[in-house]
Amino acid sequence: MSAVAPPRPSRTRTRLVASVVCVVVVVAFWSVDINWARLGNLPSEIVRYLWLMFSAPDWSKLGEALYQTWRSVEMAWVGTVFGIIIATPLSFLAAKGFGPPPVQAALRGVFAVIRAVPEIIIAIIILSVTGLTPLTGALALAVGGIGTLGKWGFESIDGVPRGPIEAVRAAGGSTSQVLRWGVWPSASPEFLSFWLYRFEINVRASAVLGLIGVGGIGDMLTSYTQYRQWGVVGMLLIVVVIVTIALDAISGAIRRRITEGAPVHDLER
Amino acid sequence: MTVPEPAFALAPERKKAASATPPPRPAGRWKPWLAFGVIAVITAVTLSPQVGIAFSFDAIVRNWQNGAAKIVQLLQPDWSFFPRTIPPMLETLEMAVIATAVSTVIALPLSLWAARLTNPNWVGRGLVRVILNVVRAVPELLYAAILVAMVGVGALPGILALVLFNVGIIVKLVSEAIESNDAGPLEAGRAAGGTQAQINRAVALPDVWPSFVNQVLYVLELNVRSGTVLGLVGAGGIGLLIDAVRTYFRYDQLSVIILEVLVVVILLELVSSAIRKRLV
Repeated sequence: MSAVAPPRPSRTRTRLVASVVCVVVVVAFWSVDINWARLGNLPSEIVRYLWLMFSAPDWSKLGEALYQTWRSVEMAWVGTVFGIIIATPLSFLAAKGFGPPPVQAALRGVFAVIRAVPEIIIAIIILSVTGLTPLTGALALAVGGIGTLGKWGFESIDGVPRGPIEAVRAAGGSTSQVLRWGVWPSASPEFLSFWLYRFEINVRASAVLGLIGVGGIGDMLTSYTQYRQWGVVGMLLIVVVIVTIALDAISGAIRRRITEGAPVHDLER
Repeated sequence: MTVPEPAFALAPERKKAASATPPPRPAGRWKPWLAFGVIAVITAVTLSPQVGIAFSFDAIVRNWQNGAAKIVQLLQPDWSFFPRTIPPMLETLEMAVIATAVSTVIALPLSLWAARLTNPNWVGRGLVRVILNVVRAVPELLYAAILVAMVGVGALPGILALVLFNVGIIVKLVSEAIESNDAGPLEAGRAAGGTQAQINRAVALPDVWPSFVNQVLYVLELNVRSGTVLGLVGAGGIGLLIDAVRTYFRYDQLSVIILEVLVVVILLELVSSAIRKRLV
């Protein structure tokens, strides 16, 4: 007696999706304007440039590099603080049950639009008012931050348990008292942790903003790339990597402390 | 003779309640204020004119006329410019697709290599992780700026910059997803006598597939978004056009580009979130 194997699940759809993806990729490769012949000697070129950059990093410009890094980090910090100050009230208004529904929908739309525009384009728009100064960079990061901070903010307020809010309302609390005693205690760890996360994002973005000339480490990096002083470029890359990883580590440690609570020690005491 | 009862004895309970001290306030209430103080001090330093970024209202007020004119221009998009934006926008999309495809191929084996469950050898694992952490610390636009100086202007440096950045992100997120998976099936594979490669192929890969596709979609979104600005440093795509119109201060044309980028990014986000819902 031969047992009949169950029919294989239909894979038509998987195959269809896979072939569509393949076609898109092939079309992209086929139509993009690249001199593929250049790809052949690319590996040796890259090794040559890596050697130029990192065999003898030029440490004589380290002082200026650190100063420019400080300017970048300042931009990131000010951008984060301004972003928080503007975005937090807006995220309360955009949360369910606090703002009027039309305002809610409009704010959520504004957040989505801001998130779709890269910070560097925001900076290009702002610089017609503030000129090529670090302030432009900070303001661009603040505006860009409204998009992400606002979204994360209303999402975490929506996720707050309703019980405490109702309790405060029942006790006769005003809206601001509801926010302070019903929402903030359960939402604050999330808020603090995504504020820090946004700072990490801003540190990276502030280096990028230097490219349009608002100052900071990105500005210095593009200048020396254009002068083709590869020793200095290598040193700058090392500085960027170390500073970014260090700030990420500090902010990550604080975030873990906030979301996971204090380490437990001295249980006997 | 009846002794009059003292009035205060009528409510002993209430008296006790009134004199009872409330429980002590939890200690450490100064901590938030300390944190707030530290933040305020840092902010003040970064805003001060000597060492900081010199926040000045004067400049803003002085340039307001100029800026307002630009914003008005921004609000009147020059639609006749639209046909010229299509080829560079297509190039941006092509770059994003190619970079996503290439980095997918590179990142899949590397993510298996960077997770503890699928690579018990800690030396190789640590090496991959450290290198990728370093690679990830530099934003893609800085890579693009350097690569343009290396290999010349065009889409190629843009794609390379995106690939460098993407591999870092995909490997990090996917290897974390592998680590959070159940180790049981992998142990079963080992008990059945499979080599690590066989286990990874037969057990780990089907497990991580949904999260892998998820991250690839996420990276595609990121690529379109950052692909629009890579051209600012000469790395191809619509950014080249952004750079051109901004040097001539044609903000009416800039607004056409921004609107186009907006539409493309939001459409892509809708499509990929629809796909993601099917996956999960």
